[in-house]
Amino acid sequence: MIARRIEYQAVRRAVGPLLVWLERQRSRGRVRRDAGPFGPPLESSRKLKELLSLHYLEGRYADGAVPVAWVTSGFPVEILRPLGFHAVYPENHAALCAARHALPALVEAAERQGYSQDLCSYARCDLGSVASGRTPVGRLPRPDLLCCSTNICQTVLYWYRALAERFRVPLVLVDTPFVYGEARPHDVAYVVEQLREAAAAAERVAGRRIEPEALSEATRLAREGTELWGACLAQNRAEPAPWTGFDQFAHMAPVVALRGTEECNGYYRMLLDELRDRVRQGVGGIREERVRLLWDNLPVWFELRHLATLLAERGFTFVCSTYANAWSEMGSVIDPADPWASAARAYQHVILNRDLGSKLALMKSLCRDYRVQGAVLHSDRSCKPYSIGQIDLRERLSRESGVRALILEADHGDPRAWSPEQADTRLRAFMEAFD
Amino acid sequence: MTAPAAIGVDVGSTTWKAVVIDRSGAVLASLVEPADPLVEAQTERGLVELRRRAGAPPDLPVGATGYGRKRVAAGRSLTEITCHARGAFARTRRPGVLLDIGGQDTKVIRIDARGEVMDFAMNDKCAAGTGRFLEVILARLRVPLGEVASRVAAAPRAVSVSSTCTVFAESEVVSLVAGGEPVEGIVRGLHASLARRVASLAGSVPPAEAVFLSGGVALNPAMVAALEEALGRPVSVVPDPQLVGALGAALAAAEAAAAASPRPVAPPG
Amino acid sequence: MCKRLHVGGPKRMWEPEAAAAPIAAALYITGRRGHSPGGMRKAYIREQQARGRKVVAVLPVHYPKEILTAAGVLSVELWGPPGPPRHASAGRLQTYVCAVGRNALGFLAGGHADLVDAVLFPHTCDTIQGLATLLPDLGGWSKPVLRFQHPKGDDRESARRFLRAELERFASEVGELAGAVTAEALSRAVALHAEIDRARAALLARRASLDLSDRALYALLRRGEFLWPEDHLAELRRAVARLAPAPVQRGLPLLVTGYVPEPMSLLDHLAEVGAFVAADDWAATGRRAPPRPDPLPADPFDALVEKGFAGAPCTTRGASRERRLAHLDALRERSGALGVLAHVPKFCEPELFDLPALRRHLGERGVPLLVLETELESELPAQARTRLEAFAEMVSARRARA
Repeated sequence: MIARRIEYQAVRRAVGPLLVWLERQRSRGRVRRDAGPFGPPLESSRKLKELLSLHYLEGRYADGAVPVAWVTSGFPVEILRPLGFHAVYPENHAALCAARHALPALVEAAERQGYSQDLCSYARCDLGSVASGRTPVGRLPRPDLLCCSTNICQTVLYWYRALAERFRVPLVLVDTPFVYGEARPHDVAYVVEQLREAAAAAERVAGRRIEPEALSEATRLAREGTELWGACLAQNRAEPAPWTGFDQFAHMAPVVALRGTEECNGYYRMLLDELRDRVRQGVGGIREERVRLLWDNLPVWFELRHLATLLAERGFTFVCSTYANAWSEMGSVIDPADPWASAARAYQHVILNRDLGSKLALMKSLCRDYRVQGAVLHSDRSCKPYSIGQIDLRERLSRESGVRALILEADHGDPRAWSPEQADTRLRAFMEAFD
Repeated sequence: MTAPAAIGVDVGSTTWKAVVIDRSGAVLASLVEPADPLVEAQTERGLVELRRRAGAPPDLPVGATGYGRKRVAAGRSLTEITCHARGAFARTRRPGVLLDIGGQDTKVIRIDARGEVMDFAMNDKCAAGTGRFLEVILARLRVPLGEVASRVAAAPRAVSVSSTCTVFAESEVVSLVAGGEPVEGIVRGLHASLARRVASLAGSVPPAEAVFLSGGVALNPAMVAALEEALGRPVSVVPDPQLVGALGAALAAAEAAAAASPRPVAPPG
Repeated sequence: MCKRLHVGGPKRMWEPEAAAAPIAAALYITGRRGHSPGGMRKAYIREQQARGRKVVAVLPVHYPKEILTAAGVLSVELWGPPGPPRHASAGRLQTYVCAVGRNALGFLAGGHADLVDAVLFPHTCDTIQGLATLLPDLGGWSKPVLRFQHPKGDDRESARRFLRAELERFASEVGELAGAVTAEALSRAVALHAEIDRARAALLARRASLDLSDRALYALLRRGEFLWPEDHLAELRRAVARLAPAPVQRGLPLLVTGYVPEPMSLLDHLAEVGAFVAADDWAATGRRAPPRPDPLPADPFDALVEKGFAGAPCTTRGASRERRLAHLDALRERSGALGVLAHVPKFCEPELFDLPALRRHLGERGVPLLVLETELESELPAQARTRLEAFAEMVSARRARA
């Protein structure tokens, strides 16, 4: 245990930063590849890569040194921060596997155990990674605690139950009743009570108590982080938009996985400065911005580059998405003075836990605020909660916001049921309609 | 030549197969034909021919299996799962996992030390993971079945085919060809893709278990190699892989007849 | 405010015809091929409405029916309905969404349920939760909507408190639709449904001693999806009276776990291969026959909270696997089932997720398992029937050996 701690601290404080420094030296002389139809690459991207590499590197040495929790993207991670948890985000990890084209082998490992191909590809990727011990990040630390919130889907509960069975560690559940309009008092009371239960479980694992000041501080950081993220997104109201929706998908990792930490906020301060500079200088995310688009649902991680290029070559760019936006929404609700009730409200009101009327209103306001002319709704086989309603939303959006909207059938992770040829044809036809 | 004891008919979706066996279970005559939708007529015709070849009397017990088994007038009708297990065990005499890749179905059957079915799995109704997947795409690539093995052997590397859906894979393959990828590499990639699907259906096979292959696809050595790679272990082809189901049906018919008749009959094998 | 309440009272309109007829005749409404179950249901609903009862269409699976009964509201469950979608509106949900959701959307948006007064969406899975907002918010249903949110996961104090608050809220929501629900009426309804639960549980627990085919038994049980509770209880009692002192079923006893016995022809196919459902863990039937204490808690809401956590562990409520597997083991041992059939509707996430654990668990115990994925829209394809048959051959061979 002590050796493990020393090792972890050495990696965190010395080895990691050293590797980052070496990588910087190595890449210094390297000629950047031609940006093609895109604007100049974001300087912050390099820092992002370092931040995430360090995070995963630390993760490899975390178990045994600090308490480790595996956490769903919608779980109020702030309550774990004061206890020094290393938080692993299997969803984020699965997205990374998909983006690196490592996902098919992992989902097949899960399918060999009997997981149906009709289940979420994130879940299959994670369960396959756990079963086979394989991951492109080297190693994920074994969890001491599993933290699951149903505000994004019920899928995560089934998925985390499988993890709990595998690792034989406690699973804490924050069950969030679905919200129509506003959360009802008994919903909030229920969520608060579960947050307290979760905190007590986390305290038992960590072997110490949550200091109220530390919780307030983590909550403040989480609030600031989501606000900074929101400010970064809002830069795209400018024309040309300083970055693309595809860039945003890559840059949202810190607000998802490092929320409530100073590293996360420091990163977004830097990014925000850069984006503001770009706005001042009129630098766009793509070279020639012609048509501004909204994206709905998770990204198609394994095709990001291809889709981005296809669009950018014709002057089309995503300037906003309901997905990236989801991590900016809770900022104003989180209240460091009342961490429990405000977290309960904030995490209950996420887009996937609210009625479709609210989602339509959100999409319309994004269309208006970002002056978009078109929308692509990714109908995601792997995410039913996000995809249910899209066929109507597409219709309503085009009628009520006057935007052209397309449904694109795909999957956020699994490329095996995806036809790039068919998707290309659809997207091309969609773009031709704007001429 | 020993005396004929029973006939087995396996009415599959792509081929019609039948065998005549003697009391020891040895195959005296066999017939494999492309399947005719008129199952009854084909069976009547085929059995006349088979009896003629084996010199068998018209009252020989008949066992039927395959998806068309219920349209065959037979003393014993059993599913292809049970019959494949019996047929394969009669040939291998070993427990293990039998993979049977047919035109419409892919079956994974776990056989115990007594030759009985312990567990089985079948593909869902989609063509992905069946022989049809290869057949459709090879036709699209204009690669005759007879050339498959040599073309795959000639491929220096497999071109990855990611789509498991037959329809999407077809368009993916067309664009791979258009993109200048060698046909040999694509064909090898297709074999790897199908093999992975079958491996996934097979689940986690315990390391000690032997793996056998039957069905028409077993005649394709490239597929055997691809399966060995996907499963990470040797795969042995059951002798006369296309006849395994018919053999199992014949054995079952012989057994039923023996149980019904007072005359002692030696157990098959 | 509950003038029209006849719970436990003497008035039993459906009784006279049914009392005279054997159980097989009761199948007239849902069972036999050639009859339109929908048409029969509609006739029954109209009759109930003529008696002044409000009618609510209810989506699967769990909901506090007692509260509806106490308010004199007839609940008619909508499990799809099975078969091809009744209206093109089903296409407003993608094809990778389960058919219970798609068909319900087609049915409701296509006007097929217009004779009911409201629709109730219990939040049982992501799909039905999605429908609960899709129909009222994006079009297809303009009459009142009721919703019931279950706490997910295991029995916890927080979940009990939430369930109680949600039950009370639901009671007042139902009150707005049909007149206030009084404590007395609710207590009577709780007692009535406890009796129904006990009768259903008795039939399922002593299945082998019941001289009915699976088709007949399930037609009877599933008539509870739309009959007025007293009418349903009367039929159940007649079936309970037929229970023999010793087992009468001679087929291969199987345990079935799954969502809903649809297509119903699955039961005929089981009979064809010589098997019967000896133990039931379908969400629609077996998981809705919880053991009930006697006496019941005095406070009706307490009784409903108790019932909420008393039933078989159900995937749609996010029950823990350990509890579910232990329950299945108990069912198997009690019934003498020789094999397990996991019957899963295509795309049903709650059921699909547990399959690897179930496979592992039964494999370790040497219990044969067949996973059968079926579609609500169509009958079983030949390939699926072959699998059932092969499974029966395999289980019989084992029984013969043993």
